[in-house]
Amino acid sequence: MSQSEIEFTYNDQKITAVAGQSVGAALLAVNIRSLRLSRFNQNKRGIFCGIGVCFDCLVVINGVANQRACIIEAKNGMNVQTQVGSNA
Amino acid sequence: MHNVVIVGAGPAGLSAAIAAAAAGAPVLLIDSNPRMGGQYWRMAADSLENQIDQHYDLETGLLLINAVKARKEIEVWSNAQIWSATHKDGVNTLRIIHQDNEKIVNTKNLIICTGAYDRTLPFPGWDTPGVMTPGAVQSLLKGHAVLAGKRIVVAGSGPFLLPVATGVLKAGGEIVELIEANKPIRWLKSFAAMLENLHKINEGYYYLKTISTGKVRPRFGYAVVRAYKADNDELDSVDIAKIDRNFNIRKIKNIKCDVAAIGWGFTADTSLAGSLGCKQIVAEDDGVVIWADDKQQTSVTGIFVAGEITGIGGSELSMAEGVIAGISAAKFVGCKVEIKKAHIKRRAKKQRFATALIRAYPIKSGWKSWLTGESIICRCEEVDLNDLKHAITELGATDSRTAKLFTRCGMGLCQGRICGRSVVDLVADNLEISPTDIDRIAAVNRPIITPIPLGVLAAGE
Amino acid sequence: MKNPDAIVIGAGVVGACSALALTNAGLKVLVIDRGPVASGTTGAGEGNILVSDKEPGAELTLAMRSRDAWFELDTDIGGGFELEAKGGIVVSRSEKGISNLKRLATLQKSSGVETIELDRNGLQKIEPYLSADVEYGVLYPKDAQCQPMLAAAQIMRAVKKRGGVFVQGENVIKVNSNHNSVTGISTDKNSYISPIVINATGTWAGEIAKMANSYLPIMPRRGFILVTSPAPKLIHHKVYDADYVANVASGQADLQSSAVVEGTASGTILIGASRERVGFNGELDVAILRQLARQAISLFPILSNVQLLRAYRGFRPYAPDHLPVIGEDALISGLWHAAGHEGAGIGLAPATGELITSQITGQSPFMDPSPFSPKRFQGSEYVAV
Ligand SMILES: Cc1cc2nc3c(=O)[nH]c(=O)nc-3n(C[C@H](O)[C@H](O)[C@H](O)COP(=O)(O)OP(=O)(O)OC[C@H]3O[C@@H](n4cnc5c(N)ncnc54)[C@H](O)[C@@H]3O)c2cc1C
Ligand SMILES: Cc1cc2nc3c(=O)[nH]c(=O)nc-3n(C[C@H](O)[C@H](O)[C@H](O)COP(=O)(O)OP(=O)(O)OC[C@H]3O[C@@H](n4cnc5c(N)ncnc54)[C@H](O)[C@@H]3O)c2cc1C
Ligand code: FES
Repeated sequence: MSQSEIEFTYNDQKITAVAGQSVGAALLAVNIRSLRLSRFNQNKRGIFCGIGVCFDCLVVINGVANQRACIIEAKNGMNVQTQVGSNA
Repeated sequence: MHNVVIVGAGPAGLSAAIAAAAAGAPVLLIDSNPRMGGQYWRMAADSLENQIDQHYDLETGLLLINAVKARKEIEVWSNAQIWSATHKDGVNTLRIIHQDNEKIVNTKNLIICTGAYDRTLPFPGWDTPGVMTPGAVQSLLKGHAVLAGKRIVVAGSGPFLLPVATGVLKAGGEIVELIEANKPIRWLKSFAAMLENLHKINEGYYYLKTISTGKVRPRFGYAVVRAYKADNDELDSVDIAKIDRNFNIRKIKNIKCDVAAIGWGFTADTSLAGSLGCKQIVAEDDGVVIWADDKQQTSVTGIFVAGEITGIGGSELSMAEGVIAGISAAKFVGCKVEIKKAHIKRRAKKQRFATALIRAYPIKSGWKSWLTGESIICRCEEVDLNDLKHAITELGATDSRTAKLFTRCGMGLCQGRICGRSVVDLVADNLEISPTDIDRIAAVNRPIITPIPLGVLAAGE
Repeated sequence: MKNPDAIVIGAGVVGACSALALTNAGLKVLVIDRGPVASGTTGAGEGNILVSDKEPGAELTLAMRSRDAWFELDTDIGGGFELEAKGGIVVSRSEKGISNLKRLATLQKSSGVETIELDRNGLQKIEPYLSADVEYGVLYPKDAQCQPMLAAAQIMRAVKKRGGVFVQGENVIKVNSNHNSVTGISTDKNSYISPIVINATGTWAGEIAKMANSYLPIMPRRGFILVTSPAPKLIHHKVYDADYVANVASGQADLQSSAVVEGTASGTILIGASRERVGFNGELDVAILRQLARQAISLFPILSNVQLLRAYRGFRPYAPDHLPVIGEDALISGLWHAAGHEGAGIGLAPATGELITSQITGQSPFMDPSPFSPKRFQGSEYVAV
């Protein structure tokens, strides 16, 4: 792991990212595009606006729901999970 | 005590900060992003290095950002998101979430440069993972050095599609289709505005050259009208339609792709200025913007605006307005400084170009015919077109506000930023009336500018 | 509609329920509102249908009938407004509060209200996220909830299906009368003739009374409600602090609030509501939002991570004695008032419709309507003001 690399988990899977990348970008880089299941129809959703406006990229980070993956910087040791409905 | 507070560190806010500081006013610059630059000059973290390939004019951006950093009269708060703002007796109170805490700033002199975000139109399947905005594709590249997918369709309308496609190619991605709903011939209507902004044509030429080197042939008069899911419920393919001048579908063909980046220009984010009571008006493209006088002052004395929130016009107009707003605000706090003729002339020139842009890329009403009853309109609350129609025909909604309250359309976490504009059009269409300015302005009323944890709210005073 | 038997002014929940009851009684009803359905206070209400917050007396009798009437109405018109008998829990954490609450619950019980006393364990069992320092509460299984805008809309839909007519977008500017008997109304666009006019204009009912050369002291009492981002089902009942009951009955002008916390069908949590008398001042007051947030978190600490998404406000229509005004005007015959329900108009609407209808049609009412009569404000001492 180089200096600027960091590691976090997504649904218990290890993800390596470059420091400074957002959680959503790091996941997309390893081809993970679905981040949550919608509340009513349980449809998969992923990054849509990419700049924090649409709230479609919601994930659960360290137990807190409704976090926008596209703008939250990935940090070492983060525990990121798919958000199911309004929470996992 | 800061003399001038500026919200937004994009082209407009940076220009305003430098102009105000140069005139002698201490400045506080507040922005929600971790780094300055706004949307146009979205910067990557140091560890990722700036994605130079992804920028057309990074030099100007770095020049402004470094100038702001160098000036000791300017204090910068990054990662600072204003969640609420109110105006009382000439004082603006800004409530800011900064590192999970709340900070309060009271100021009489404010410059608001909160910019814009991609305008989207709903269509069947637009909530499929893989469908995104061109802005998303670009910010993933500029800000995070990540290519959104392998086979990318870029579509919609407006000049912004070109830098996005260019960026994808520069990053080694494949553009399967680049399609523009309008025909380039519309530009001929604004020949004069083009001639006086020749460097813009150069910019366009640079993009088109890169695009043709990448063996991409842009199509005009086409649109993505439907997205299909693969077995894993992610994007598999899109229907690309030849459309007529009113955007009605003529012929359809299916294209495989894993990303469809579709945008229809931009929508100004007027929430903050609107909360403070600044007069909002409806622009030529039907978007709501903040009214400003020739000094960039809003209807509220002491509040100035610049950039996309006064009307969509690109980074150069944003900078031209920013300089004037900065000077005006500095003058307002007593600095000896005047707006120069050259500033006014520059703004006018950029404004003519911006107007030409809006006219060259109109959004025609035929997009509504792409929808089916089951098409999701409000992504957050999963309200479909049938629900909206039910609110009108059965429950008696006669305006978009009532339809929204009946269906929860536009009441989710994004607070109608994504669907609000389309909902006003769809409701009016179903009532067979034209939307009023009041409808459009009501749809952008957001006293809570961004959601705030109750715990943070409770801890404040 | 030519020559309606009755005209209802106002398509809020009270006007809608009155129109439905009159229509069901066989009258041809015309409803007029200056805006769309539920565009007044009903569109800002929270949807609590409470028996728990009422002291024994006329209002409690009205509330108990109304609660059942909501469920009958739900069946009658086919639902569609998220009616749910979720039950309310009133808690208290002070010694004085607990003894007051016990006293109230006992009185309510003797008036026929179902009450169940709960200790800390009992509370934790049915509201696991309730703050552990709450040691006493009363469960009111009959407390219910609906989505008020949808309710008004669905009721108006039924009225129209059953032959009523709804005219919207006309502002009533005059109540016409001849020798102190109502003959109809005029709007900014038309005139309508009818021997019976029902004033269901809520907070604006005083203006309509004035147009008829009568008098009604209805004033606005502002309230804010917080709406959170959608959350999992954390809260199962509507839960509030007993102080709320004291607020409801209070006549003080300054801010009072005691958070009523509840989940909704759509997943958002509602936290309401403040009460203050500041006229029709609609400015967002962040201090109130903070106070409501603090109170909600003190009941449910888990809420501190849930986000505030919206805040909205409305103006409750209230009369000086905090009782609704239901009955015929003392000065103008044929003019009926159904207004001034303050913070309970959603809950009390169906029974209000029944009460006004039985009086108009001369049937025997389910309760003695005299405590609600407008006459109480229309003696000489008031009219002179
Ligand atoms: C994703 C995206 C990419 C774009 N790329 C290009 C491009 O490549 N070329 C081009 O010509 N144009 C591009 N544009 C158009 C662009 O908006 C303008 O050209 C230019 O950036 C506008 O400048 P501005 O200063 O008005 O606003 P912006 O650059 O949008 O800056 C606004 C700033 O305000 C901040 N802000 C907003 N609200 C708040 C708040 N409540 N609290 C705190 N801070 C707040 C935002 O975070 C942002 O940093 C893009 C737009 C978007 C949305
Ligand atoms: C914050 C808040 C929370 C509340 N929570 C609850 C609750 O949980 N439970 C509960 O039971 N109650 C609650 N209430 C109270 C409840 O909302 C009201 O009592 C109720 O909505 C009153 O209904 P209404 O039909 O009398 O009035 P409104 O809904 O105000 O209807 C009056 C109608 O008359 C129309 N009108 C007025 N003047 C004219 C005119 N000149 N011409 C034509 N039309 C006219 C208006 O447009 C309006 O549509 C709450 C109120 C507030 C403000
Ligand atoms: S993708 Fe829109 S908020 Fe993250």
